[in-house]
Amino acid sequence: MRAGLSQVELSQRSGKDRAQIARWERDVVVPSLETLRELLRACGFDLELTLVPYEEDRKQDARLQKALERTPQERLQAMLRARGR
Amino acid sequence: MAKDDFDPHALLETLERQRVTYIVVGGLGRVIHGSDELTDGLDIVPSTRDENLRRLGLALEELNARRSDGKTPALERDLAREPVLELQTDAGELKIVPEPAGTRGYDDLRRRAMAQPLGRGLRPSVASLDDHARMLAALGREHDRQPLLTLQRLIELDRGISRGIEL
Repeated sequence: MRAGLSQVELSQRSGKDRAQIARWERDVVVPSLETLRELLRACGFDLELTLVPYEEDRKQDARLQKALERTPQERLQAMLRARGR
Repeated sequence: MAKDDFDPHALLETLERQRVTYIVVGGLGRVIHGSDELTDGLDIVPSTRDENLRRLGLALEELNARRSDGKTPALERDLAREPVLELQTDAGELKIVPEPAGTRGYDDLRRRAMAQPLGRGLRPSVASLDDHARMLAALGREHDRQPLLTLQRLIELDRGISRGIEL
């Protein structure tokens, strides 16, 4: 997106099949890390990986899981109620 | 207009009544997907076709929309000058964003947007979770870091392990 390339242009630059690029864009599958790096380099970027501490936030996960079980209407109503507090 | 008067249903009903074509994005869009944040306004990406902008103009009139300087918006002129048109209306804040960061606007977002039932017969198109994450990431603002992390976690929880990774 940042490189402003079409699928055809990215295909030409990276040597990857255009249909495969379309599948990545549609999120049918995700590319491997090595393939992602090749694609980014074809766009003039690189991927910098940095290890950072990670701690699972179980409370937030529980909140988000509960939100996912609600309907969109219920999520909106919950937010409006929370705003009123 | 106090922030307490934010009435998303009234805003959406007016847009629907005037048959405006648009996609909901921003904080409200994220809330509709399950994000646990609070928001005081509605952000929309309208189709920028002439007829749609005319309809949007009618909706803004009906909502008594005002720019921050108190003037009535002139849609085409204002959208040509500003990437985001921020308005106060009788039903709360309304932001009009023809081309959100990281996207190519309505036609780009439309492909993955889905109609989401919000009550009162409203089913507005809301940008996908992935596109919401894409927009926040493209903005690169520090205060968007937590909402972005929340969206990324929502995407992971929503998908579970159903998606394959190529080897």
